[in-house]
Amino acid sequence: MRGRRFLLFALLIFIAAGVMLAAVGIGAVMMPLREVAGIIWSALRGALSRPFTPAETIILQVRLPRILLGFLIGASLSVAGTAFQGLLQNPLADPYTIGVSSGAAVGATAAMLLFPGAASTFTVPLAGFCGALLALFAVYRLGSVGGRLPVVTVLLAGVVVSSFLSAVISLGMLVANEQMRNIFVWLAGGLGQKGWPLLLLIIPYFIIGLAVLIYLSRDLNLILLGEEDALSLGVEVERTKRWILVAASLITAGAVSVSGMIGFVGLIVPHAMRIIIGPDHRYLYPAALLGGGIFLVAADTFARTVIAPAEIPVGIITAFLGAPFFIYLLRRHREKYRF
Amino acid sequence: MRLHIEVKKLTFSYGPETVLDGVSLTLGQGDFIGIIGPNGSGKSTFLKNMAAILTPTGGEIIIDGKALQNWRRRDLARRLAVVGQGAGAGFNFSVEEMVAMGRYPYLDRFGSLKAGDRRAVERAMHLTGCYHLRHRGIFSLSGGERQRVILARALAQETPCLLLDEPTSFLDLGYQVELLELLRSLNLRERLTVVVVMHDLNLASRYCRKLFLLYRGRIHACGGPEEVLTREHILEVYRTEVLIEPHPLDGKPQVIPVSTVNAGSDKNFQKRVHLIGGGGSATPLLKELFIKGFSLSAGVLSVGDSDWATARRLGLPMVEEAPFSPISPQRHKQNLELIEAAGAVVLAPLYVGPGNLPNVKAALYAQQQELPLVVIDDPAVGERDFTGGEGELLYRRMAEGGALFLSRPDADAIIKSLFSSPNG
Repeated sequence: MRGRRFLLFALLIFIAAGVMLAAVGIGAVMMPLREVAGIIWSALRGALSRPFTPAETIILQVRLPRILLGFLIGASLSVAGTAFQGLLQNPLADPYTIGVSSGAAVGATAAMLLFPGAASTFTVPLAGFCGALLALFAVYRLGSVGGRLPVVTVLLAGVVVSSFLSAVISLGMLVANEQMRNIFVWLAGGLGQKGWPLLLLIIPYFIIGLAVLIYLSRDLNLILLGEEDALSLGVEVERTKRWILVAASLITAGAVSVSGMIGFVGLIVPHAMRIIIGPDHRYLYPAALLGGGIFLVAADTFARTVIAPAEIPVGIITAFLGAPFFIYLLRRHREKYRF
Repeated sequence: MRLHIEVKKLTFSYGPETVLDGVSLTLGQGDFIGIIGPNGSGKSTFLKNMAAILTPTGGEIIIDGKALQNWRRRDLARRLAVVGQGAGAGFNFSVEEMVAMGRYPYLDRFGSLKAGDRRAVERAMHLTGCYHLRHRGIFSLSGGERQRVILARALAQETPCLLLDEPTSFLDLGYQVELLELLRSLNLRERLTVVVVMHDLNLASRYCRKLFLLYRGRIHACGGPEEVLTREHILEVYRTEVLIEPHPLDGKPQVIPVSTVNAGSDKNFQKRVHLIGGGGSATPLLKELFIKGFSLSAGVLSVGDSDWATARRLGLPMVEEAPFSPISPQRHKQNLELIEAAGAVVLAPLYVGPGNLPNVKAALYAQQQELPLVVIDDPAVGERDFTGGEGELLYRRMAEGGALFLSRPDADAIIKSLFSSPNG
């Protein structure tokens, strides 16, 4: 079991590195792996002099941040999805279930409507993040009953908040004539034109959230046995649930406010990883991190090259690739895998 | 450290509904206690309060001198292990992983199992007979196997006390007994304190040293099985007529359901039927009429006689005479009093001798009181009269008086005659 797990992680890390490196080389301008590696290596050593050559610009200013961001967003959505599925004890849960993402969408929509001219690179993500936090606060307050957070009420509160906010977004899109397309594109989700600053902006949320989730991973395993069993085994169930809810929401808020609502990653990668690595969250989180990153980088590479120079929204690709792959996994493991 | 648990006037309510209403008990190391009671009596709620899964609305629970709410969960999980009713698990962990979760209260946050932890896990799997399942996923197990895995997890906690909530509910008879035998041996060998909520009164009686009978959130009775499992208690709490018989091996009271109170189809005959018998002659009819829901009495029966034993088991009002003694005038008089208060009398085919002749006279007395009288004459009185004809004479007078003579102890015929008689 241990040996198998070690091999799987080694394999996942290897694939992650390979996919990212390949993705940097692939695009409108194809670059050989050797040149890509050379430029990245020089950049890491600080040996590049400005102004950059066109190849250096493409790699360092365009593709690399996009790919790293893609990996981070994929990892975020997948880790958050894993946490929500466990916390809500529901196989259909994903980072968007409890409405935090809708909060981000409302915030982003509001920013696009109110400051249409401003440099939207930062205002939209910041407004999105604030919206996500407000939605989390609402779900938390609506979902708690007498100081406790029963799974069912959290789920219901999340669904209610989510549909309410969706209505707000629809209304916003109706009001916004010339911004409508922008809002639509943002909602569909994408990784283009983000650059380094946004990547650096959301890394802290991801790291803090992930640290909390991993810290509580054993407790979550026990909560999955049933909350009463977990209590009798010594788990502080309510405290654990609160922290997991906040941590997973923070990760989601960071990801969604930067890249919009990229679907499917947070639903399917956790299931796929659970089939491959088992239900123990101590291993499931790292596996989901790697798997989500790999999946989104691959999907995004496909999205930006298949009809180049135009791009397909990556959310369409994730659904396109994800659904058949998931069905394949599910059918192969039907007897052993039950949520 | 020796375990000591004190529950003082515990109350608990779900909203306006009071589930526990002042339950007190004390538990020490090595006790084996059963909590019994009908559905909704608060058994499981009580256990969950003790396990700090539910928070009491009143009273207090003190464990090792410290109030339950002041315990850290982790520390509590090293003193109490719980085997709950839910055999559920959200994900397909392997059996070994499941049992290893019992070590949670001993592990550092990121630490892995130490040698001692592994030993505890393996021992728990061996004890519960699920070692051979250790690599299987729990989804592939049967209900009974899962139940054993949960028990193994609780044993892996290595606590001095085990709380079990209907642990035998998913098990077949063989596993039920196996599980209780395991608990008993741990209780005897390692002084493990066991508190078990049970539905099966007979198993509770055999394995628990002390029983608490809960009813409507209160302790209705407590003590040894003999004190708690009585006909009266069962009738009060379960509204069910039962017989209490000693277990043939260890003499522990066993509960045998008879029928619900007055559930017989023959509701119309409200009055008591008095049986006169002796030497086992009345036993078949006593049983049959009892099952049919009749209210019965009997007399005069000798102590130790098999009719007497039957009447006693059924808890009937009766007149008793000392063994091997003739019926004294005083007992005879009491018998006549029971007859006067009855609605009908049945004379069983007893062997008539000088000592019990008053019983035959009592039957005649009943007829004179114009009570319906049924005489079972099988074998015929001539073959069982040892009074030199005096008995036979009395029988003849009964026949002349219009008593119903039956050639076999046919309860249906008796019932029919009772309903057709004007006094019925």
